[in-house]
Amino acid sequence: MEHDDLITRREALSRVAILLGGAISAPTLAGALDAATRRAWTTPSRDWAPRTLDAGQLELVATMADHIVPQTDTPGARAAGVHRFVDTLLSDHYPTPERDRFVAGLADVDARARSGHGKTFVECTADQQVALLTELDEAAFPAVRIDSPRTSDTWFFRRMKELTLVGYYTSQVGATQELHPSPFGAYRGDIPYGSVGRAWS
Amino acid sequence: MITYDAIVVGSGITGGWAAKELTEKGLRTLMIERGRDVVHRTDYITEHKPSWELPLRDARLSVGTKGAEEYPIQARTGQFRESNKHFFIKDKKNPYIEDKPFTWIQGDQVGGKSLIWGRQVYRWSDLDFEANLRDGHGVDWPIRYADIAPWYSYVERFIGVSGEKLGLTQLPDGEFQPPMEMNAGEKLVKAGIERAFPDRHVTIGRVAILTQPLNGRLPCHYCGPCERGCSTGSYFSTQASTLPAARATQRLTVLPNSIVHSVIYDASTNRVTGVRVVDTVTKQTQEYRARVVFLCASTLATTRLLLNSTSPRFPNGLANSSGVLGHYLMDHHFLAGAGGSIEGLLDHYYQGNRPNGIYVPRFRNLGDDASRRDYVRGFGYQGGAGRQGWGRGGGERGFGVELKRKLHDPGQWSMGMTGFGECLPREDNYVELSDQKDEFGIPLLKIHCTWGDNELAMRKDMAASAGEMLEAAGCKNVHTYDAYRGSGQLGAEPGFAIHEMGTARMGRDPKTSVLNAYNQAHDVPNLFVTDGACMASSSCVNPSITYMALTARACDHAVEELKRGNL
Ligand SMILES: Cc1cc2nc3c(=O)[nH]c(=O)nc-3n(C[C@H](O)[C@H](O)[C@H](O)COP(=O)(O)OP(=O)(O)OC[C@H]3O[C@@H](n4cnc5c(N)ncnc54)[C@H](O)[C@@H]3O)c2cc1C
Ligand code: SF4
Repeated sequence: MEHDDLITRREALSRVAILLGGAISAPTLAGALDAATRRAWTTPSRDWAPRTLDAGQLELVATMADHIVPQTDTPGARAAGVHRFVDTLLSDHYPTPERDRFVAGLADVDARARSGHGKTFVECTADQQVALLTELDEAAFPAVRIDSPRTSDTWFFRRMKELTLVGYYTSQVGATQELHPSPFGAYRGDIPYGSVGRAWS
Repeated sequence: MITYDAIVVGSGITGGWAAKELTEKGLRTLMIERGRDVVHRTDYITEHKPSWELPLRDARLSVGTKGAEEYPIQARTGQFRESNKHFFIKDKKNPYIEDKPFTWIQGDQVGGKSLIWGRQVYRWSDLDFEANLRDGHGVDWPIRYADIAPWYSYVERFIGVSGEKLGLTQLPDGEFQPPMEMNAGEKLVKAGIERAFPDRHVTIGRVAILTQPLNGRLPCHYCGPCERGCSTGSYFSTQASTLPAARATQRLTVLPNSIVHSVIYDASTNRVTGVRVVDTVTKQTQEYRARVVFLCASTLATTRLLLNSTSPRFPNGLANSSGVLGHYLMDHHFLAGAGGSIEGLLDHYYQGNRPNGIYVPRFRNLGDDASRRDYVRGFGYQGGAGRQGWGRGGGERGFGVELKRKLHDPGQWSMGMTGFGECLPREDNYVELSDQKDEFGIPLLKIHCTWGDNELAMRKDMAASAGEMLEAAGCKNVHTYDAYRGSGQLGAEPGFAIHEMGTARMGRDPKTSVLNAYNQAHDVPNLFVTDGACMASSSCVNPSITYMALTARACDHAVEELKRGNL
């Protein structure tokens, strides 16, 4: 799967077609990483600062992301730095109109929180936050498929969810603690799933 | 004026081969490359980088994204990503003109597209070499399978090809290293297809990737993204394979950052005497001389160069007395096929990122019962099966602990297949020079190319047959697709398969072809064209190994002719 919403069918197909075996997450060799690299990622440098989002928006992204992929026995989206990844994509990758649309989507989330609870999303209780996200999720992924054009707020939530998953499962935490990278070496075409026990990242 | 025995223009798949063969046969050779140097290992700057060290996490850089601003054409392909954009050409600096969309994907460095190619390699057969003669499209090939078969073997033994022998006449076997393994899903689908259709076969892709050591190169360690470069030299590239061999002779000079502007022709001897080169950094022009010139700049770059090499004898382009130079452009048409899910096998998984998929050899129009009346020629399929990864979570309802638990395991199996179809050689698919020039003073190429009725009819069968095969194999939710959106639209437009070929075709008759049976210009004996420009038809299999075999064969001929004093 492609990781910015440019998952058009053409692209998905062309990847199958041209037979590049790797999935979106670049296969990784955890052992090849030196300790300094690991530290550098887990503790972002002090002077890291968002370039598109302001502090409030960054916190909003981190909060939503952490509900989408929360901490369990492994760290969640916030600890994996998903909000920093989102800011990087918005700054260095997104075409301006798409970036603006995403930022407008954030404002819309706060507007919903205000109209429901009189507070910003971040100020809401965790239960209120989850309830708001559930509404967005259900609108974005209706139980019965409807072929009507997606409204802008479902666009936002779909994108937010996708960016959270990409940001999380391609982070060091997601790729090596929650999942694990396929080791370099032999290719084995048919092994019992039980011998592996979790998906390759 | 510096004089060499031979000049090779281009350092990609064919240029590397020409340099190796000519230097090994004793010629002092100058290989000229417009792009920068790329040093094996050192310059694979993203190889083995874990995803989190790539700021965009290896985003696909599609048209409109910030990283793609210099690359509006290259960004059309899904192959163009954060991790390998440095191996693609900057379109803004190297523009061309499309009449209708023609996506021209180019590598622009020492190694050319050999660094980023898909490595699928299949021999042609006489079904292909006789096709033009049989159905009257294009001119007859001046060679047959028997002429090229030993050269395929020669190339395969040197580059290293892994694959399975099938004993099929339409897809001859080669000199193979042990094949890669299919996964459980592919094995299941293979069994189902072969049970339902005894004349159709599913095999693992034949790839120029080692499964055993070869000449100091190591077998593949299944890291996955080959298109970032391979320090173990496990897949064939100029850097891993032909360049070290050519260098070992001490007769090779490589000249990067130097674009060949035109080939110099001397009417008094009817020979080319060398090339005119523009230094891409200083913009200085310099001439280099040689006794023989090989054009290996890739199909359309070579033809552009010939068209731009004019003289009173050849006012319409060098070696173009026939007038066919630029015409009969082809590509494969692809992205029509089917996908489906495979039930069960949830206790089966695989390990390693296998840079290869499955292949279904052509089964249509073999001159038997399977023949079709509504189109000529045929297609093969490439594809593969796998289990869904975490990305599936982005397309379904649900979030939180439950989603995270679900994505801890892989999802169900799915299988996809896309056809690669043969394209007919048509005169009205052509390129010409426009009156605009690039910064090096070379006129821009203008490309006119569309699919014809035969390709469009074949695509229907490509999609339908794939669907029928997946259904027969027991797949569920089978959907067929065709990414072509109509003439003038992006989707599966010509060029997109990156198998562009033709425009300086081989043939028996100098009046209707540019090159003879040895890739030698009919008009000018010491001029050879051995990249895809030489192709008189397109077959349906990936073309590069045929270019390599033709190149090695042409070098052999050129050196013999030099020795005989004929050049
Ligand atoms: C993503 C991808 C997947 C592919 N998959 C496959 C596959 O699976 N199987 C297959 O058979 N083929 C595949 N191909 C196609 C394959 O890459 C080409 O057929 C092959 O590289 C052609 O070799 P070439 O030597 O003609 O050109 P190239 O490898 O492109 O080399 C040409 C070189 O010439 C240089 N050049 C151009 N003009 C000039 C000039 N005027 N002066 C000096 N230098 C110049 C270029 O910079 C370049 O380095 C794929 C291509 C891509 C991009
Ligand atoms: S998958 Fe194999 S061939 Fe490709 S880069 Fe990795 S080791 Fe090299």
